Formats: sequence, structure tokens, C-alpha cells
Amino acid sequence: MSTIVLSITVLSITERGGSLGWASAAACIFATALGGVRWLRVAQREHYLPDSASRFALRWWGATTPNLPVALVALAGLALAARWPVTALAPAVVVALGPLGLGLKGRTSPLRWTRRLRTLAIVWAVLQGAVAAVGFLTGFAAVICCAGALAVPALVDMSCVLTAPIERRLADKYVKRATERLRRVNPKVVAITGSYGKTSTKGYVAHLLSGSMTVVASPASFNNRAGLARAVNEHLVDGTDVFVAEMGTYGRGEIAELCSWMKPDVAVITAIGPVHLERFKTEEKIVEAKSEILESAGCCVLVVDDPRLAALADRCDEAHGSGTKRVLRVSGLGPEPSVDVFVVEGPDGLEVRAHGEEIAGPVEVAARPGNVACAVAVALELGVSATEVAKRLGALPVAPHRLEAQMSPGGFVVLDDTYNSNPAGARAALAALAGAARDEGRRVVVTPGMVELGPRQREENERFAAQVAQSPADLVVIGRTNRRALTRGFGAAGSLVLVAHRDQAVAWVREQLGPGDAVLYENDVPDQYP
Amino acid sequence: MSTATSITAKVAVVFGGPSPEHDVSILTGLQAARELVRDGRETTGLYWSKTGAFHRVVPTLEALDFLEGVPRGAEELRLAAGPEGGFVAVSSRLGRSRPLAIDVVVNCCHGGPGEDGSLQGAFDLAGVSYTGPSMAGAALGMDKLAFAGVVAAAGLPALPRVLLEPETRETGFAGPYIVKPRFGGSSIGVEVVEDIATATARLAANPHLRNGAVLEPYRPDLFDLNVAVRTWPELSLSAIERPLRSEESSEILGYADKYVGGEGMASAPRELPATLAAPVEKAIAELARDLTARCALRGITRIDFLSDGEALFVNEINTVPGSLARYLWVDPAVSFIELLDAMIEEAAGRPTAHRSTVGADGSVLRSAGGIAAKLG
Repeated sequence: MSTIVLSITVLSITERGGSLGWASAAACIFATALGGVRWLRVAQREHYLPDSASRFALRWWGATTPNLPVALVALAGLALAARWPVTALAPAVVVALGPLGLGLKGRTSPLRWTRRLRTLAIVWAVLQGAVAAVGFLTGFAAVICCAGALAVPALVDMSCVLTAPIERRLADKYVKRATERLRRVNPKVVAITGSYGKTSTKGYVAHLLSGSMTVVASPASFNNRAGLARAVNEHLVDGTDVFVAEMGTYGRGEIAELCSWMKPDVAVITAIGPVHLERFKTEEKIVEAKSEILESAGCCVLVVDDPRLAALADRCDEAHGSGTKRVLRVSGLGPEPSVDVFVVEGPDGLEVRAHGEEIAGPVEVAARPGNVACAVAVALELGVSATEVAKRLGALPVAPHRLEAQMSPGGFVVLDDTYNSNPAGARAALAALAGAARDEGRRVVVTPGMVELGPRQREENERFAAQVAQSPADLVVIGRTNRRALTRGFGAAGSLVLVAHRDQAVAWVREQLGPGDAVLYENDVPDQYP
Repeated sequence: MSTATSITAKVAVVFGGPSPEHDVSILTGLQAARELVRDGRETTGLYWSKTGAFHRVVPTLEALDFLEGVPRGAEELRLAAGPEGGFVAVSSRLGRSRPLAIDVVVNCCHGGPGEDGSLQGAFDLAGVSYTGPSMAGAALGMDKLAFAGVVAAAGLPALPRVLLEPETRETGFAGPYIVKPRFGGSSIGVEVVEDIATATARLAANPHLRNGAVLEPYRPDLFDLNVAVRTWPELSLSAIERPLRSEESSEILGYADKYVGGEGMASAPRELPATLAAPVEKAIAELARDLTARCALRGITRIDFLSDGEALFVNEINTVPGSLARYLWVDPAVSFIELLDAMIEEAAGRPTAHRSTVGADGSVLRSAGGIAAKLG
């Protein structure tokens, strides 16, 4: 036994590269620490999903110049380090400083040392320490520490996997408390999901109900398990009649789990679109995941403008017969015989009809008809009178950052659609831009393109840029994430400007545009995107 | 004017609470806490969440820290009643741990249970000293019907105010009317209606009127006049304020006029001191002094009047007014810290809970005999 300990000790103090090897190993460990901060932040921004750091590392190192050649140099350094430990210094420098453009602390969304991040950082440090220990014990400290430094994103991801059960256990406590609170306050629960439009719809539902009942709506960013538990624990006041919950999902089973302790009385699916497609792979899987919300609800509201949701409505009817589950089909397009509530955009505003009767004449409000239709259906279902609905429709709260038109000090119109990340929304925004400028005015679209569209990202961005060129408008492309696709789609039609950051785009717009012109800021992506 | 008591006292500022005025209360509480910290007092923030949980928070937080709910780093507390009562950390084992060392709680909770006597009653049972109204004073101030009854019984000038019930058909005064929630500290839920039928219809529709409503004549010719009263070190009155409505068209001084934008009540549009005829000013002072004893006022109370420039009517009292009515003390000027000091001293020097067991000397027990025999 003592011989083994002794031999390990002997091994551990030998480094094949000698003092240069020690120095290289130390440099790699230092670089690892810096790289750790960088990729931990990316993991935090990407909701600690277990492959986020690696995915973004590939995106940064693989797709952006000059990061790609630099990455190749680093890999070469690693390969040579087995023979000449001093070459490990090259990867060390690369890991410490790169990828170029991805800051250490973050520009748009800084690193926040929350309890969860601290836990993750500790687990990650233990993993990195284990890797380094292997290096020291085997006498290959330089090369193994170098490999460890290059593997930071992978080890960050591994830590996300390892901490997931811990986080779940911690959240259980709050979920249990929330379950108890829901039982005590006993509100009707309206659960809303959808690829987009759920936050707006939630606001509309709360607004339509709040004239005649006490309503609490979950705050915008509280749409997952931990968030909704917190919303209930901290916001669901005694005596609340209706709780309006926004439910988001990154995968199958998540919404079903939410509904197991927060049973919806009314469930709403606003729309299906290629959002988070990177995670879901196909839109069919998105439909499946979202449809979990319908399972235990007494009443389902579905926007049947999407044939997949129409099919879902039919499936609900078949599975449950007509007595047990009410299925309300709503539409933002037009009157179909089977539709219960429809809202159409007339010349003077939105026209609302429900169950064959006109609810409200033209209402001048900047809201998407489909979302309004959902909200009206929910309000009527929960017993709000048609006159009350009509009365409140005029003052629907339009959420900030959702296509708000403002007059800039420079005299041009600014359309802010920076909270958007889907093709349909972008198209609608482009249509709004056409009407915002004067006939002879200049139109400009500023965008980093759409993200999280998975395999369809390139195609969708190309298509959007082509639509911009046709509309016609000039295009300012921010960053590198979608630069190639947008440039290709835009073609040579109008003027194309490439900038690195949003600030530069804003400065360019201020300088170039004047009275009668209009600019559309379409989508905004945080700085973990190249 | 600060004396040893208020300077050395361990002060906690409680704010928030399950009330429509939760957010405004956070503003008042943060202002008070910041002022105490600025003056070097040992200060604890006590955030009372919308769902009724107490939390110890840093006293120098900003309003935005509360935007999503309980701020980061908050420690949950429980309010324990009983002889060794007080605020106890939830994480420590109840019964074993001692409550936080707090001498006085500065109550900044507007509306709901923080201003209707509930919190006051709980504090009394827990042996916690607090500023502002006692349980009885708070309960009376929050009940618009009971308050109107006290004012009417004393023969003080007021507009008629009656209970509005679904079967109400006749009030004895003509419309248009104002419908107000019977219990409620702000203008939330207040509506102007043309006739009684509309008023009773609103009873079912308006969720704020569910716990009772009162009906008053709507008098657009009258304007508001407010004055603050403080009861320590002696009864004194602030300058008189005439709040201004944001638009000519707005029917009543709304919640948004008072609170939206700026730092709460302290930044609402107003005329201060209001230019008033001498008799009106004198009448306000007399009525304020009369109401102080009549309504068991304590701490700083804002009394709201209605007037057309000559006639004067008592409207309502706010026993935990927005921003603690600090902005009204301009003539003579009293600083915020001076106001807080006086309230803290009063909290320590003028207890709210008066218990007595005189007469419970055991004689009844001795002569009682068996309980079963009493049940017969």
C-alpha cells in the first residue's frame, strides 16, 4: 500500500516537460479559470440547458473569422504539447482571450453570481480539478491541463447535467409550497402556451377579466417550473379569482409536469412556429409538447388558423366526446362555420364576433387578432359579459417591445419589434414598416436575424432578407450569427450595411434617417451570439 | 429634537403587504428606511409580500428590486404571537430561536391588512411596538361607513354617506353618485354613476366593491383639501394641501394622479400651502383637532376634506398616508427624520395594547363547581 502511495508521489512530482512543462500547465489552469467565467455565463444565459456552452462554442470558434484559424492553431498546440509541452502556451492564450467578440463578463447580459450559478461553478471547478489532477499524477500536466482548458465548454455542459437533479430537488420545495397555496386560494387557472403571442395574450386575458374579477397574472419571465412556483408563492394573493399562467417549454413533459400541480381550468394555445427549433428539431414535436396543456383542462382554446391546431381541436373533440371537455376554436383570420370566436382586422380596427354574435364593432387597438380572439374566448368562458368585454377591448395593454411605433427626435418613425424571433412576426413587422414611412421616405430594417430556428435558421433568414429587399427597404445586419444568410437573401437590390453591435446600427440610423423615414428594429439577440 | 430613545432604538420599517397599495407602500417604506439609514440609525427592512410572508431585507434597496416579487437575498421571517413574540427567522427552529431585536416597527403599509387593524392586532399580540394607528384607530379609519357614522354623530360637517346594498333603491339625496369600496384606502374601485340602479349593478361587476360599498353624492364643484396631523411630541398640524387633478375632465382624484410617476404621493401635482379663506383654514384646524381624539389617531394621519371654497366637509382619514405625508410639513418645516423620530418615540412611549386582568382573581373559578354540572 505504502509503495503505491510512494510511487504516486514520485510520479506526481515528475513532469515530463520539466520546468517549462510546469509553467505551461500553470498557464493552462489560469486560462481555464478565465474560460470558465466566459462559458458559465453562456450557460446561464441559455437557461442551463445541458448542451448550451458546447453549442455556442462551436458557433463562435467554427463560424467566425478570425476565430476559426485561431482555434486550429490552438488544436495544433494541443497536439504538439504531448511532445513539446511549451506549445501548450498557445492554446492557453487562445482559451484565455477567445473567442474574439465574446466578452468575459458580457455586454448586454452580464454574468450574475446567483446561487444556482455558484453551485454550477463549484461542480465545474471540481471536474476541471480532476482533469488537472490526472495530468499531475501521470506526469503529463502540460498536455492534460491544456486539453482541460480547451474542454471548458464541454465540462460546463457536463456540470449542467450533474447539477440538474440538485436544482430539481431544490425547486421541489417551492413547487410543494405553491401547490399548497393554489389549493388554499383555489383560483380558476387559465394556462397559456404557444410559440409566440403568449405574453400578449396573457395580458389581454388579465385585462378583460379584471373589470369583474380579481386576477393575478404570472410575470413575463416566470414561465417555467421554478418561475411559476415563485409566481404563485409571491404573487397569488388570497381571494384571487383567476390566475393566468404563461407556460413555456423547452421539451416534452415539461408542460405536463406543470399541469400536474397547476391544473388548468382553461388552456390556450396561441400559435405554433419554429421557435426553439434548435431544441425541438421539428415543429411536430413542438405541437406535441404544447398540446400537453390541453390534457387536464376543462376548456381548451385553440387558434385554428394553424391547421395543426385545428387538427388538435378535432382530436380533443374525438377523445373526449362533447360533454366533458369544451373545445373553443378561435380565429384571427375570418369567419369559418366551425369557429367559436373570431377577430378580423377591418378598415377601422378589430371586429370581434363570438358564438355567432357581434361582440364589438371596430376597436382601434394595435393587437394581433389571433391573440385577441383567444382572450375574448377565455373571458366569455369565465362568465364576463359581452358588454363588459366590448367595453374593455378598447384599452388592451399593448406589451412593450412588441411593434410599438414611436417618433424619434430626428423626426423618423421607429418600430420596435426587438422581442421577436419568428418568421411570421417578422413578416408582419415588415408590413407595418411599409405603412410607417411616407411614400417617398426611406425604410430601413435593422436586425441580427432570427435565432433558435435550428435547421431552418439559414433558410428563414434568407427568406426574410429577400422580403426586406422586395418591400423595398435597406438592411442593416448586426453581428455575424446570420450575416451570411441575410446578405445572400438580400441580394444586390438596396443598400446593405454590416455592423458588429446594435449601438453602431443605432448610430448609423440616427445619422442617415430624417423626417418621413422609418426604421424597423427587428429582433435583438443577447451577446452570447456572435 | 431627536432624543436618546429614537437614536438608539433598533428600528424596522415594514412595507408592502397583501393590499392594492402594495407597490406604493414599498415606495413609502424604502423612503423611510433610507432616511433612517442616512441618519445612521440601526435599521432593518421588513418586506411583507403580496401573499403575506414577511422577509428581512436590506434597508437600502431600490424600488426595482421588488419588481419581480421578493428581492434577492431576502430572509423569510414569521411573526410569532405570545409573550416572547416577534419576528423569527423561518430557517431557525421555531420556539428555540429568539425573535429579531427590534424596538420599534415603523408601519408603512398602506391599505389592506396593514392599515385596517389586522397588522396592528398581530403586533399587539406579538408584543411588537409600532408607529401609526392602534388596531381600533386603524379599523375605524379604514371603514368609510363607520367613520362617517362617528363624524355624523359628532355633528361635524360631511356629505351624506350610506351603505350601498343590492336592494338599495333610495338614498335620500340626488345623483349623480360616487360609489366607493367600504373598506379601502385608495381611490381604486371608486366609480361615478348617474343613478342608483347603475350603482347597484356595479356592486356585482366591480370586484373592489365585493366586500361592501358606500354611496355618496358626486359633487364636481368640490375640491380636495388635505391636512396632516401628528400626535407626538404634541398634537400639531401640517400645512394644508390642495391636490390638483391631472386633467380637467377627470372626475375624481385617481390612483394614477396620486401614485403613477415619480416617487409616490410626494411628487403629485398640488398647491401647497393652499390659498384659502381664513375661516376655511380655521375650520380645518378645528375639525382636525376634534377628529384626533375622536378617532384615536396616532402617528401621522392625513385628513381629507372637500370644499367649494366656503363650505367644508370631512371626507376621510388616512391613518397610514402615502409617503407618511412627509411632504405636507412645509410650514412650519419639519424634516422627514424629525417626523420619523417623533413617531418612533411615540411608539415606544405610548403603547397601543392595554391589557387588564383586574377581576380575574380566581374567585369565579373557586366557586364554579364542576363544569359538567354547569352544562346540566
